[in-house]
Amino acid sequence: MQGQPEREYIIEVEKINKTFSGGVHALVDFSTKVRKREVVVVIGPSGSGKSTFLRCLNGLEEIDSGSIVIDGIPLDDNKKHRLEIRKEVGMVFQLFNLFPHLTVFENITLAQRLVRKKKKEEAMEMTVNLLKKVGIPEKANNFPNQLSGGQQQRVAIARALAIMPKVMLFDEATSALDPEMIGEVLEVMKNLAREGMTMVVVTHEMGFAREVSDRVIFMDFGRIVEEGTAEHFFTNPQEERTKLFLSQIL
Amino acid sequence: MNGLMITPRARRTGIVFNRSTFFDILKFLALIALLTFLLYRGTKSLGYNWQWYRVPKYLFQFEEGKLIIGPLIEGLMVTFRIAAFGLILAFVFGLVTALFRMSSSFVARVVARGYLELIRNTPLLVQIFFLYFVMAPVLGIDRFVAAVLALSLFEGAYASEIFRAGIVSIHKGQWEAAHSLGLSTFHTYLHIILPQAIRRLLPPLTSQAISLIKDSALVSTIAVYELTMQGRAIVADTFMTFEIWFTIAAIYLVVTVALSIVVNIMEIRLKIVQ
Repeated sequence: MQGQPEREYIIEVEKINKTFSGGVHALVDFSTKVRKREVVVVIGPSGSGKSTFLRCLNGLEEIDSGSIVIDGIPLDDNKKHRLEIRKEVGMVFQLFNLFPHLTVFENITLAQRLVRKKKKEEAMEMTVNLLKKVGIPEKANNFPNQLSGGQQQRVAIARALAIMPKVMLFDEATSALDPEMIGEVLEVMKNLAREGMTMVVVTHEMGFAREVSDRVIFMDFGRIVEEGTAEHFFTNPQEERTKLFLSQIL
Repeated sequence: MNGLMITPRARRTGIVFNRSTFFDILKFLALIALLTFLLYRGTKSLGYNWQWYRVPKYLFQFEEGKLIIGPLIEGLMVTFRIAAFGLILAFVFGLVTALFRMSSSFVARVVARGYLELIRNTPLLVQIFFLYFVMAPVLGIDRFVAAVLALSLFEGAYASEIFRAGIVSIHKGQWEAAHSLGLSTFHTYLHIILPQAIRRLLPPLTSQAISLIKDSALVSTIAVYELTMQGRAIVADTFMTFEIWFTIAAIYLVVTVALSIVVNIMEIRLKIVQ
């Protein structure tokens, strides 16, 4: 998507630091900006801080210093700001985290009613549409444990989309899936990217990065090691660490 | 499976009737027979004058075709009322205390911890006396309210630990998912955490409810005319110590076993739903 006019930044991360209680310095003066409609893929070895970065973006982890601004709203101690950001940022987890006591339909409808204060009919209509979009309209009345992993993850994506976020975060959304189910979830994610959703995706799926990403960030030890298009990473990686990592995952 | 028939009922209840079940029942009957024999020998050697025939009228009697409820059943009704109010309040105290203990507010945590330790480490009897003789005149409450309050404060402290364990046992991912959807803490508890926790909490909460029903006997010490107090009055009148106390024990047993069965059915239903 190069060559298009400069768009407004929707995520602005400025020199954030995060140290866990065990003393692990997960993010070190980490800065990046994401434009509207941009798809950013974050790769890196385990423990490199990529999940922590994602979780800081919607306030699941507190940063020690630095600043995060989402769609013009600063993520600070103001509770209103925090709630607003949580509404604007959808998240998909590695282990789906569906609500096991609610049906698929209820999983997707709940936040629409409680957070977006939608009328029942409106929420139901949206849920039906979302289930069609992720390709499992027939599972509406099933409980999560009656679905395959791939289906559960697609429900989780629909659930996150239901609050109409401006940004979607994917935290290793396909890592816990059996190989034959990865494709169906990636397909939903690719469609979302093509529709113009702003996405930050932590993944090891370089095929996905190549097909839909605008930018790939390679992280290690809480810092950005190298950054560029997916093509750049396939053909011309500069840093030794990048080359080593790519040789391990490709 | 050895040609064993699994009926739909057996599949539902998990009970399969076969030869070893038959022998189990036989062994159980033998045990009951033995215990009955021992009890018979024990009471025989007491030289006690059993007057069971005089007991039924304290439960209920018919006079001119009309059913008249005896003092024991009257007492049981009071026990039911104490237990019902007590249970509701105990669960409220328990839940609030559990939430306080896990809240981010330091004051709330200290208050909850203080209440918990104070109640758990002093005898219920003393608490009942304290509430009735010291607090009741100040607060202007009668003995029934004092009894309910004392019992629910006591059982609530234990229930709070049960609630806390149940809430903590819910996977962190559930909180994170709710958080990422923009749900408030209140909505997360109400719609996500508590509905899941309650399923795990039913068995220990039932034990707590049974404790409350049995402990309600202690409020007879402040002359609330519940089952035990009625029993004491009748014993004082008639000197039928063993008959009355055994009857009362049997009534408590019937009530608590019935409660267990109801909760068991609820548990099975909740499992099917999930």
